[in-house]
Amino acid sequence: MKFLMNTGRTVNQGASVENKRSAAYNDETGTCFMHLFDMMELGVDDRENVRVTSPFGEVVLMVVSDEHLKPGTIFVPYGPYANHIIDGETHSTGMPDFKSTEVTIEPTDEARKSVYDLMADLGGLPYDH
Amino acid sequence: MIIKDAVCPFCGCLCDDIEVTVDDGKIVAVDNACTLGNHKFLGDHRLPGPIRRDGDTWKDIRYDEAVEYAVDMLLEADRPLLYGWSGTHGEAQCVGVHMAELLRGVIDNTSSVCHGPSILAIQEVGHPGCTLGQVKNRADLLIYWGCNPIDAHPRHLSRYTRYADGFFLENAFRDRKVIVVDVRKTETTNLADEFVQIQPGADYAVLSALRAIARGKGDALPRTVGGVPREQLVRIVDLCKKAKFGAVYFGLGLTMTRGKYKNIRNAIELVDELSRHTKFTISAMRGHYNVYGSNEVNTWMTGYPFGIDFSRGIAFYNPGETTAVDILARKECDACLIVASDPGAHFPRACIKHLADIPVVQIDPYANATTAFCDVQIPVAVTGIDAEGTAYRMDGVPIRTRKVLSTGYPSDEEILGRIYARIQEVRQP
Ligand code: SF4
Repeated sequence: MKFLMNTGRTVNQGASVENKRSAAYNDETGTCFMHLFDMMELGVDDRENVRVTSPFGEVVLMVVSDEHLKPGTIFVPYGPYANHIIDGETHSTGMPDFKSTEVTIEPTDEARKSVYDLMADLGGLPYDH
Repeated sequence: MIIKDAVCPFCGCLCDDIEVTVDDGKIVAVDNACTLGNHKFLGDHRLPGPIRRDGDTWKDIRYDEAVEYAVDMLLEADRPLLYGWSGTHGEAQCVGVHMAELLRGVIDNTSSVCHGPSILAIQEVGHPGCTLGQVKNRADLLIYWGCNPIDAHPRHLSRYTRYADGFFLENAFRDRKVIVVDVRKTETTNLADEFVQIQPGADYAVLSALRAIARGKGDALPRTVGGVPREQLVRIVDLCKKAKFGAVYFGLGLTMTRGKYKNIRNAIELVDELSRHTKFTISAMRGHYNVYGSNEVNTWMTGYPFGIDFSRGIAFYNPGETTAVDILARKECDACLIVASDPGAHFPRACIKHLADIPVVQIDPYANATTAFCDVQIPVAVTGIDAEGTAYRMDGVPIRTRKVLSTGYPSDEEILGRIYARIQEVRQP
């Protein structure tokens, strides 16, 4: 199914932002909030995983229902997961399209990666002490 | 020991009424701060000392060695990018600008991915803004557009708007109306007197419709604009015109969506229109506690607020070309110094991929997502906790943050000063 992905701050993201190793940060930024109707149509339950694909990449996120969202849109808190599938193009403004990336979503059994795994995939060496 | 009136170094509200209790060299209690501020003051997980990547492991190194590495990296680079700056004090930001000029590098701050578009709009049509104190004491109508202060600036409502007393308002809570415009319901929309839910990307159209109504041309509008019924738009313009003092606050919901700076320009022009009927102001909800400061420091030193390229020997500014995301996505820079920010977590993947390919030094108290892409990270004191310095609140008021504790970590200014002095020795002997 096709969705419009919005990203933004949440209080949990802000409170855990200085500790990106924490489960709290990984869970918060690795969550895709979605309207219950869309979840029913996709056939997924709360806290199950979905694969989110944009023209710029794909990432596995945990889905959580949120009745405040309009059907057809998803919300992902700011962080490495959302940025994994956002383009670097800024249309001559310096600002990427953080709030308007079109994505396709499907259920998956694949596990969600940690923030550090995402970094390692791109050639980084997570610091874990 | 209790330190009164400490300043919270987290968000642009820069609350200066925090009470911090220090016992045995540690912060043990924090009063008055919100959850975000509490976490900042009470957080540990600091990086103990400088680290250097050595193949597939991390090695502890001394500060001297770390500074040397940064100096060599910057001197060897043809097009170094100096990025970040919003989470540190103004004095350190000054050193950064001097350093970028001497290196003929590019210096950009995090505003290019938050309120950079707002500044572009302000450069086009000006900024009818005011201080938070004016709003607290006078505003009887608040509009929050594309922002969610309950989550991002938790005390904005209690210190300055919804729950704040106002000198010129008899019963501030009853007399103040709050309108929230957003694409989704949030904690903030729950406490609005009027919630306007618009379709994603429809901000420009809705702002234009409000301007048309304010001009008396509402009849020309269709029945709904951007998902909002015309009647609601008319009601809002009515509320605005009846207000004695209206204040608009907007967030990344306007700067990051389609239209980017043109949305802000339209919002400023709406405020201009409303100011023909009553008093209206508009301001940005600045995120990091000193992102405003980095725009100020850059502007008074170079003439430009962010994205400044010194490769021509003079300051050159062209957002979209000289801004960090573009430079990284185009794989243009050949070294990167990152100060007090975390592009590893907040930049699109293409940018981070380039960081992995070039030498990177990060100056930051915490190990973060960017650490994974560093060759060297140098931990420093946290401004407002174990270092002091000047920061600018979201309304442009400079506030001196306080040092509440001594830890022995050097400040950003000290480390940057050492790097700059060594670069000067080579470039300006
Ligand atoms: S509102 Fe902002 S500045 Fe004030 S205590 Fe909370 S995080 Fe700190």
